Amino acid sequence: MVLDLLASGLVYSSIIVLGSIGLSLVYSIANFANFAHGDTMTVGAYAALVTFGAVGSLGGTVLGLPYGFFVALVVGIGMAALVAVVTEKVVYEAMDVGSIGLLITSIGIAFVYRAVIQMGFGADFTRYDISALRPIDALLPYGIRVTLHDVAIVASATVLVVGLHVLLQYTDLGRKMRAMADNPDLARVSGIRTDRVKLATWVIGAGLAGAGGVFLGLFSRLAPRMGFDLLLIIFAAVILGGIGSVYGAMLGGVLIGMVTQLTPILSELGTILPLVPDSWGIPIGIEYANAIAFVIMVAVLLVRPSGIAGEAV
Amino acid sequence: MSVREIADDPKAYWSGLTRAEQGVSGFIIGFVVLLVGGLFTGILAPTYFLFLVGLAGMYSLLSLGLNVQWGYTGLINFSVAAFFGIGAYGTALASASSSPIAGNLAPVVGLLVALALAAILALLIGIPTLRLRADYLAIASIGLAEVVRIIILNEEQVTNGSSGVRGIPAFFDGWPLLETFPQTMPNIAVSWLPGGTVVLRQPFWSALLNVVVVVSFIAASYFVLRRAHRSPWGRVLRTIRSDEDLARALGKNTYRYKMQAFVLGSLIMALAGVFYAHLNLFVAPGDLDPITTFYVWVAVMLGGSGSNRGALFGGFVIVAIREGTRFLNAFEFIPFDIAPLRLLLIGVIIVLLMRFRPQGVLPPQRELIWPSVVDDAPEQPDSGVRGAKAGENDD
Repeated sequence: MVLDLLASGLVYSSIIVLGSIGLSLVYSIANFANFAHGDTMTVGAYAALVTFGAVGSLGGTVLGLPYGFFVALVVGIGMAALVAVVTEKVVYEAMDVGSIGLLITSIGIAFVYRAVIQMGFGADFTRYDISALRPIDALLPYGIRVTLHDVAIVASATVLVVGLHVLLQYTDLGRKMRAMADNPDLARVSGIRTDRVKLATWVIGAGLAGAGGVFLGLFSRLAPRMGFDLLLIIFAAVILGGIGSVYGAMLGGVLIGMVTQLTPILSELGTILPLVPDSWGIPIGIEYANAIAFVIMVAVLLVRPSGIAGEAV
Repeated sequence: MSVREIADDPKAYWSGLTRAEQGVSGFIIGFVVLLVGGLFTGILAPTYFLFLVGLAGMYSLLSLGLNVQWGYTGLINFSVAAFFGIGAYGTALASASSSPIAGNLAPVVGLLVALALAAILALLIGIPTLRLRADYLAIASIGLAEVVRIIILNEEQVTNGSSGVRGIPAFFDGWPLLETFPQTMPNIAVSWLPGGTVVLRQPFWSALLNVVVVVSFIAASYFVLRRAHRSPWGRVLRTIRSDEDLARALGKNTYRYKMQAFVLGSLIMALAGVFYAHLNLFVAPGDLDPITTFYVWVAVMLGGSGSNRGALFGGFVIVAIREGTRFLNAFEFIPFDIAPLRLLLIGVIIVLLMRFRPQGVLPPQRELIWPSVVDDAPEQPDSGVRGAKAGENDD
């Protein structure tokens, strides 16, 4: 059972990581907590839904997913990035209200995204038109129930995260972004066009969020609230990792994703751990998984506000 | 300025108002005319009208509470819904017939239980979070509010879980005279309305009593807050909002002041929850949805952060949005679902406010100054003298 939970934790973590990287990037470069980030994920998911409905499956499949779905994934990423850039240009850029004002504005933006999606698609749940797969037979003897779709999610997320790593470490844009996250004024006087870097940050952050949204829709289902409901979990991941640190956000995403999925074993700790009686366990049900993540978040804020990977403030 | 002075010289009073105040007054007059028109033509049932007034009072109360925290002290509290919910659940669990723990106590006991629970919750949330940076406080408080909601949803042996608590008595249950007031009042037929005869029956009188409850809650809170806001204590809070380091440099224990403001605001929010429980007679975990928090935030920001009048005004606007969009359902030519329109409106208002008028419609001006100071100052020839004296020129 532990292996199975770890596997599903890994899948869920991939989605959280995709969301938390973007949130952390925007936090460090645009300098505010973006409450619209969750709904940017929803935008990506629904853009993919529409695209997939339009292009169809396009013949063959990879990892149980039709080619058309990957087209939809790209469109979802692009749409989320486009929406975020337009929002930045139209709303955030012209504002002069400090980071708290931007935080409050982003809540308004989140509601606008969600309301528009709900107007177009209704409030009900929906799914991609892809039939659910059976768990992979080869892993069943180990008690692991994962489908090819889950493998696809983890693989795609890994590709995106590695791509981001290469971009940050080995390209010009990445160096500029790191410089700007470190000290925006210094970056500016060094001749970096900070407004362009900021825009690129929005594209990357929102694009990853869009991908996360598409996978979240595949992992469970689509609903206008899906992103907003996940937002606090993503915040927990970002804070655990250290706000503003991309690698911290990755680590935090994995940890929070694992913790929320591993909650069921808390009540059966005795059967897993040696040296303690089998009946022993922490009596917390799966319904408190999110609550545990939030409590961890507050505890981190209290004990080590800079997070695991963040620099001391 | 007393009411008599206003009545003596309404023109002078009007020209003494700021542009924003004139606009808001115009809006209120127009809105009241619309409502009274609706009442007279029979479009708006009197009982429903009173229900709306009660709801608006509830939002005003919540806004007053948040105003203490955000408007006075600058605390970004995103856990309004949790305090509203704990207030509602506190009184419901004490007084409802279906309560799994206590039940059938007098609603006044429920009120006290609710306030006590809210104070404890405020301490529990406040102790860890109030030392945090502003944006961390926002995230931490919304997280803890969700924890409260999850606990209420899942601890069925205490809260009835997702099925909620039914059988909550009206607030005046057990009081002499007022308990049976709706039953003893006669049915009054109002036949002189152009919209046909309207009979005022028992539900109308119950609704009227609810309005009495909420108005007295608001009045009590408003006067306490107005006094507190102008007091030395309130001045420290305002200093903390504008520059916490300065307040600390002046030797103030800012953490303690922030905690006091947090608890005071939370108690007022819980009061709104108590009223809601006895208005709706049913509470469920859905009442703790975070959207309530953001409704209240819009009300406070719209009214003007730090302004008690603004908070009252904001509460009424929220009900106008919430219930007004319901009427749009009657128009069949609108090609989409109306429910998200409310969300859209709230979102657009937040963005427009922050973009064009972050200080809100009625920012606090002379309400921070003892009225005698303004009124006793020597006359000046220009119009808008009071405004100029209160330092509100657009500079």
